[in-house]
Amino acid sequence: MSMTAEQFDNKLIEVAKKKGIPLWGKFELTGRCNLKCKMCYVRKEARDKEIIKLERTAAEWIKLAEEAKAEGLLYLLFTGGEVFLRPDFKEIYEAVSLMGFSISIYTNATLITAEIANWLGKIPPSLIEVTLYGASPETYEEVTGDFNAYDKAVMGIDLLKAEGINIQIRTTVVKSNKADIFKIIEFAEHRDIQFGIVDYISPRRDGTDNCLGEERLTPEEVMALNINLENYYRNKSDEILKEAISDEKDDLNGKPSDNDTPFPCGGGNCWFWVTWDGRMTPCGLMEDLATFPFNIGLEKAWKDLKKKSLSIPRCRECTNCDLKEFCLTCPARLKNETGYYDRPAPYLCSLAEKLRDNLS
Amino acid sequence: MKVKDGFVLRQIAETWVVVPIGQRVVEFNGLVSLSESAALLWSMLEKGAKQQELLDALLTEYKIDEETALIDIESFIDCLREKGFLEE
Repeated sequence: MSMTAEQFDNKLIEVAKKKGIPLWGKFELTGRCNLKCKMCYVRKEARDKEIIKLERTAAEWIKLAEEAKAEGLLYLLFTGGEVFLRPDFKEIYEAVSLMGFSISIYTNATLITAEIANWLGKIPPSLIEVTLYGASPETYEEVTGDFNAYDKAVMGIDLLKAEGINIQIRTTVVKSNKADIFKIIEFAEHRDIQFGIVDYISPRRDGTDNCLGEERLTPEEVMALNINLENYYRNKSDEILKEAISDEKDDLNGKPSDNDTPFPCGGGNCWFWVTWDGRMTPCGLMEDLATFPFNIGLEKAWKDLKKKSLSIPRCRECTNCDLKEFCLTCPARLKNETGYYDRPAPYLCSLAEKLRDNLS
Repeated sequence: MKVKDGFVLRQIAETWVVVPIGQRVVEFNGLVSLSESAALLWSMLEKGAKQQELLDALLTEYKIDEETALIDIESFIDCLREKGFLEE
């Protein structure tokens, strides 16, 4: 038991990539959400009966988890939409939590009650990651359409924290909440909760409008935010600075890359996403490149997905670009930004240029 | 000797991993990686093996002398005890 956590992760990743083992799996249990964030890439209406009919059952998700375990899955994420909208989430979680996964949950925390927190506190996941969209009811109304959701989210976070559950807070930064960012950081620090940022907003994966023009930060705004964050953390202790840098690295680069796959994060090579309506994809931002594990079984779906992922054309301009070491490019982002896997996305190019200029 | 309930031993990507489940995550939120021989001992300790049985298993599976095997077993058990994984 002398291997460090980093050595352990590196060994797992190296073997998983070499052998195509799905080490990570993300189960998007629902596309529905009680909030109405303009910039969301997936959101469906909370009470949409037609959507509910298309969702997979608890028994189907539990069976899928069993199949994923047999394929070697270790890190399992439950995400949405908002998972706590599903009345059967408890049934799914309780069954899957006994299978031997390291489980994480993404939530907006607004539906967490004392009863739910108490239940989770007895059989906690490894991590609950809460997305906080602002530092006031006014900002929440602007971003999520719900003035009351801020107080509910704060209460949810405090209830989970009181149960001793490991929580992280992350914020998707858009124009409507960028003025709140340091208040959100203070909120997390005050509660001794680790904080991370999502500063890339993708166009919706189904191609419909998600107000990018209104809400997405310009490359200039992203850089200004990064510089402000660097200055802020420069005054903090080394420990906090290391955590912040580590978060940024994860957000920007994902897991170590493998040159044999077009996805720098390892999507379709050592991890997969399953959408709420049952498509297995290499990434949550994608929906057209998919296999169907609920129909053909996870083993075959994963095998087929790996083949499909390798067939995605690479962007030659991106591969040969001088900015590539600064760029967030990946096939999923290019497809959503341009409609093609192999055409450069002007937004990402501009962002890379700003990042290089800042570093130089 | 027996390891506590609430842990699952798995072999993933050529690595032996112990994953806490259910309530056990409350007291131990992390993963434990084990060598192949340690995984053998762990799997026997899940069933409450005695020290002599652990020794016999190591001597059968590995080219190792008895003295070294005993030191390895004691060291592993000390480590499990220190981390609170054993039922006392």
